[in-house]
Amino acid sequence: MATVTFDQATRIYPKAEKPAVDALDLEIADGEFLVLVGPSGCGKSTSLRMLAGLEEVDAGSVLIGDRDVTDRPPKDRDIAMVFQNYALYPHMTVGENMGFALKLAGVDKAERARRVAEAAKILDLSEYLDRRPKALSGGQRQRVAMGRAIVRSPQVFLMDEPLSNLDAKLRVQTRTQIAALVKRLGTTTVYVTHDQVEAMTMGDRVAVLKDGVLQQCDTPGALYDRPANVFVAGFIGSPAMNLVTGPAVEGGVRVGGAVLPVPREQLARAAAGNGQVTVGFRPEAMHLVGPGEGVQVLVNVVEQLGSDAFLYTKLAGEDTDDVLHPSDVVIRTEPRSAPAMGEKLWLGVREGALHVFDAATQQRVE
Amino acid sequence: MATLALPGTETTAVRTVDKPERRGGKGARAGKAGPVTYTLLTLTALVSIFPLYWTVVAGSHTNAEIAATPPPFLPNASLFDNFKAALDQAPIGKAILNSVLVSSSITIGTVLFCTLAGFAFAKLQFRGKGLLLALVIGTMMVPTQLSVIPLFMMIADLQWVNQLQAVVLPTLVSAFGVFFMRQFLISALPNELLEAGRVDGASTFRIFWSIVVPVARPAMAVLAMLTFLTAWNEFFWPLIALTNANPTVQVALAGLGSGYVPQRSVIMAGTLLGTLPVLIVFTILGKQIVGGIMQGAVKG
Amino acid sequence: MTIASQSSPEAMTASPPAAAPATPDRTPARRRTTLTRNRWGYAYVAPFFLVFGAFSLYPFVYTAWISLHKTSLSDINGGTWVGLENYRNLLHNEFFWNAARNTLTIGVLSTVPQLCLALGLAHLLNYKLRNRTFFRTVMLMPYATSIAAATLVFSQLFGRDYGLINTVLQSVGLNPIDWEGGTWSSQIAIAVIVTWRWTGYNALIYLAAMQSIPGELYEAAEIDGASRWKQFLNVTIPSLRPTILFTIVVSTIGAVQLFGEPLLFAGNGTTSGGASGQYQTLGLLMYQQGWSNFHIGQAATTAWAMFMIILVVVGLNALIGRLRARADR
Repeated sequence: MATVTFDQATRIYPKAEKPAVDALDLEIADGEFLVLVGPSGCGKSTSLRMLAGLEEVDAGSVLIGDRDVTDRPPKDRDIAMVFQNYALYPHMTVGENMGFALKLAGVDKAERARRVAEAAKILDLSEYLDRRPKALSGGQRQRVAMGRAIVRSPQVFLMDEPLSNLDAKLRVQTRTQIAALVKRLGTTTVYVTHDQVEAMTMGDRVAVLKDGVLQQCDTPGALYDRPANVFVAGFIGSPAMNLVTGPAVEGGVRVGGAVLPVPREQLARAAAGNGQVTVGFRPEAMHLVGPGEGVQVLVNVVEQLGSDAFLYTKLAGEDTDDVLHPSDVVIRTEPRSAPAMGEKLWLGVREGALHVFDAATQQRVE
Repeated sequence: MATLALPGTETTAVRTVDKPERRGGKGARAGKAGPVTYTLLTLTALVSIFPLYWTVVAGSHTNAEIAATPPPFLPNASLFDNFKAALDQAPIGKAILNSVLVSSSITIGTVLFCTLAGFAFAKLQFRGKGLLLALVIGTMMVPTQLSVIPLFMMIADLQWVNQLQAVVLPTLVSAFGVFFMRQFLISALPNELLEAGRVDGASTFRIFWSIVVPVARPAMAVLAMLTFLTAWNEFFWPLIALTNANPTVQVALAGLGSGYVPQRSVIMAGTLLGTLPVLIVFTILGKQIVGGIMQGAVKG
Repeated sequence: MTIASQSSPEAMTASPPAAAPATPDRTPARRRTTLTRNRWGYAYVAPFFLVFGAFSLYPFVYTAWISLHKTSLSDINGGTWVGLENYRNLLHNEFFWNAARNTLTIGVLSTVPQLCLALGLAHLLNYKLRNRTFFRTVMLMPYATSIAAATLVFSQLFGRDYGLINTVLQSVGLNPIDWEGGTWSSQIAIAVIVTWRWTGYNALIYLAAMQSIPGELYEAAEIDGASRWKQFLNVTIPSLRPTILFTIVVSTIGAVQLFGEPLLFAGNGTTSGGASGQYQTLGLLMYQQGWSNFHIGQAATTAWAMFMIILVVVGLNALIGRLRARADR
């Protein structure tokens, strides 16, 4: 077990103008489960591969424990990796796949068999040890990939979108199994995903990246409650946080003909850039108010999910026929008493649930 | 020929979809073959086989018998007499042995060297890779004629004229083979597999031996078959480098016809002897060779 | 060697809940490591390039050097520098022009029917067939037959006096043809041998390309109301265009090098290509110059001329391909 440290780690691909990973600073505690999340091309996989030794580090360094591994090849790093497509050796049996690293490390045959059997038992693969990967289902292959990692008892697990090749149902199930397994083993884990739900449900902490730059790294709860900037606010949460930009006026921010109240001092700092303020409020942070008291919206689409209903609404006065942008504000309501399409509502934001960002810098203002 | 039904029309003719072995439902258009198709194909098959069949017919008659009108159309009893005469006239037995040796050596060398180089071109990064690959592909256009003169000088210098290594060494690698293996490995060998090997602690050589070669095996088999066939049939260079004292099959066949009074049936019997080994191999592995050529066509 | 700075105001340091250990001192800049830039690549290509260089590249270049000399086979390391004289002689050599003309006509006579037949054959093989492995394999049999064997058999079939083809012609009341003696007849006969050997092979290449055309394209064309023939013209042929260009290039290269068939067509391995050189090709001429007349310099010049012709043909093909691609855009 070990800590992992990225110290100003930077990766610039040959011929690229911008770094794929730009001065990443990240410290991961011993035994921690850290998720790297972000849209495609944000540098999350590159960061993981820098830690694995599969990608060069152009500047800065990467440490595992106290060892600087920046220039070490993967085999000297004491890590194990689970790949998105599993990368199982097609010509080896499940048992040989899991034992290959041990074989290369010179572990004797009996010990190898014992550790493979042990891992296979944990992962319920005992009866498949003699099969080839081709003869397994997607879920089983995924477990073999996990098994190949845990057999080695490495200092760090690296997982690169290990669930994205599974169907939706199996993905949810496997998600919990991996989280439980890793907790039980207590191994430091760095996990890459593009799926923010996966990130939020699995990570002790979640690091959000965009364009190679770390945006915020915090516990799932803190990310949700105090997103550091507009990007994180919009990325974390499903449906996404409503983000509306308007001019700062006396007492608040003007949004669609109404004014959302913002405390004076916060407003002053948020408007310092260009006078525009971005406000954010989550779908569940809305409530109905009397006519004229809040923001008026027109219900455009109603999504019934059974446990919830989501209203996709347009701010009053906006074009409702624009099919590509059917909604400005998403609202979560009780499914049984959901308003119908075409209804006009007056909405207010619950006390303390309004996020305020400087529209110029995109940064959060407390 | 089956008609394809338009989806959503009244005519609910069954749409013929080919067996799933057609990769991923691609090319699913093909209709069922009708009698015209079968007739044309059968005719083509007959034309393809007839010259070989005629070799058997002519090779199993005496000279006088095949000159008769109408000529015979069925094999006869003189085959072994003619074989004997052919073996007396040209060293065909030795030639077959030589050809087996030469073609096997060339096949082993080509598959080994081309797999190594094809892997490097497909998956490794090194300076000058693009230029070297362009060189390999470019020389596929260069005619054999362009290298035989210096090659002949070389083997004359080395006193290799009439020795088998003179035929083996220059053909030991092939640009086509490198290109073929590269195209195969680019798609068949995921980068992650190599990365998994590195994370698992395998050395570069170990990765090649334990991961690349097993994945490349099907393509290596195809390349081996094609190389063997090409090497067996190679004509121009062996004709220059060898003589009838130590020939390959093709050189011996070339000498067969140059007798003072050519005996047609003996020539045909000799041709049959020299062709039989490849025909046997082809009968056994024909399906794989067909698959290999088609696979190479799509990849290339 | 960039030392990345905290380039973006958005970048922020994240620390775990526990206190972070102190980072050891180190210089942030370094030389590019060789983790992924793999010098091993050279080791893998080395065996290939050693053999390739010695037996393909070096002779190729050395042939150019020889072509600038007056050298004979008996005088292997000597020879006198004559500059471009061999090339000048070549251009005034009636044998060269005769061979070039023959190579061209035999090339056209063999390549064009061969590729057209192959395309049609591929179309037939693309139907859902019973015994399709059988048909494919049988059609590849000629490819497996060597040039020497095929030519010996065909020269019997095309024989003037007892050849099967003349026997058949006579039996239907036609005059027998002296296949070997005539210019056109001998060239047609040689073209038949080439076509016989290569049609099946090219058909398989076309078939493979046809099968990789997505079925949806045909479905879309069908919904748009295209007939089968229109589909063949507007979907199959355009999709096959790169493959067709490829086969044209390959068979042209083969046609320029044509050697074994004309050498053995008369049955006795004469290098003159018929009594009046009526089917002498460039490949045969080069062999005659070098190994019958022992004029190595001349032979090298002819070899280079062959290469030039190939370059022109390949260049033209590339040009046509590029123009078509531009027209499609």
